Amino acid sequence: MVSLSSDLTKYSLNTSDDVLSLRGWLPVDAVVVDGRPGLRWMDLADVQFSEPFFSQTIKRAITAKPDRGQRFTEFDALLQVEKVVESVAPTGFIFHSSRCGSTLVANTCKALSGSIVISEATAIDKLIARFITDTSVGDLREKLYSVFLRSLVRVLGQQRAGDEQHLFVKFSCCSVVQLERIRRIWPEVPWLFMYRDPVETIVSNLTTVPEWLADEDNRVLGALAGTTSVEVSKMSREELCARTLGNFYSTVESLASDNCMLLNYNQLSLAVILQIIRFFRVELEANEVATITATSKLYSKDVSSGQNFIPDSISKRTQASNLVRQMAAEWCAGPYNALEAKRALVNRES
Amino acid sequence: MNASNLVPGKHVVVTDFDGGEGIMVDLNTKKYFQLNETAMLVWKGLESGKSVEQIVDDVTLTYEVEPEHAAKSVRRVVENFQSYKLFE
Repeated sequence: MVSLSSDLTKYSLNTSDDVLSLRGWLPVDAVVVDGRPGLRWMDLADVQFSEPFFSQTIKRAITAKPDRGQRFTEFDALLQVEKVVESVAPTGFIFHSSRCGSTLVANTCKALSGSIVISEATAIDKLIARFITDTSVGDLREKLYSVFLRSLVRVLGQQRAGDEQHLFVKFSCCSVVQLERIRRIWPEVPWLFMYRDPVETIVSNLTTVPEWLADEDNRVLGALAGTTSVEVSKMSREELCARTLGNFYSTVESLASDNCMLLNYNQLSLAVILQIIRFFRVELEANEVATITATSKLYSKDVSSGQNFIPDSISKRTQASNLVRQMAAEWCAGPYNALEAKRALVNRES
Repeated sequence: MNASNLVPGKHVVVTDFDGGEGIMVDLNTKKYFQLNETAMLVWKGLESGKSVEQIVDDVTLTYEVEPEHAAKSVRRVVENFQSYKLFE
């Protein structure tokens, strides 16, 4: 976590007016100020989440208005604020194994009228990481962070325009290892897991290294890879990525049930995207189908440019080194095949 | 027990979790408490202005226990709340 003591001071919610004053503000990051962990809030009452990622929206909001209000509170402020805002209950959750088309699905959800899509919000990711670094199974802090996470989603899903009906949360890939805890908080919410051939996924992650793969906290990396922090310190990046993907596949395979949908990148098509929306129990209007049709042709991580999506499976496979292939075979093949088998079973039931 | 002394503090936030259980936060001391189902029933009852006797009735009905047993449980929970200064 980043310490921001120089530019943020603690904002205490002593009166009901203090609490009400945070309506329309959203937690944009989990930070530590003067040694106290908590949240950085930003006045986003006038901002729509139109970008593929939450962080891109925040960047735009700050660029447009550099003096935008910001405050720091401890986590418990969430419990006060959630009681004074009208929120949309989660419609569906999107989990993924990284670089597998999940952003396209999130963008599709944005095309639905009255939808809020929270895509990889930093505060959510960091709060979920606290399950790894700051709790033990069954202790009070585990429950506390679960309550904070639920409140955080409620606050992020607040109705700011007034006509919002659907809330979709796309979690970062690292959240997969906390899937069981997340499911326990929201057992009824349908969830999608997207994944892709491991060789293609590893190549993509090694070509453009994501933050999670470069994390310096070996406790987090160990949890992601399903091993110890000591083991992680001895691994090549290829092995770390492969073991993490293998752990994601195994985790999902063991938890997949009747209210989940498993989707391989190689299945992606307009028809399947529409099927996902129906799986989330949303009825589509004709104009929404037209927007989704257009969205699904665009490169998902930069919809503003109008750049079309180009399938890249063959080029990814061609780029794969021997070590990548070896690690994928050793750590991913078994869990991936098991997940594929589960997909056939789960999707038939749902 | 005098019900007029048992007004839940404004500095206390309670939220439900895991079925009937809950988490309580004392915003003054930053202490967190895990409440079991009975404690949640008592706190929610007090929040809605019920008397201790009414809450005892609720506990008796909800858990199908003897009124004496319910009264003892409720009293113990209230004393715990008092000891942590969770009332106004």
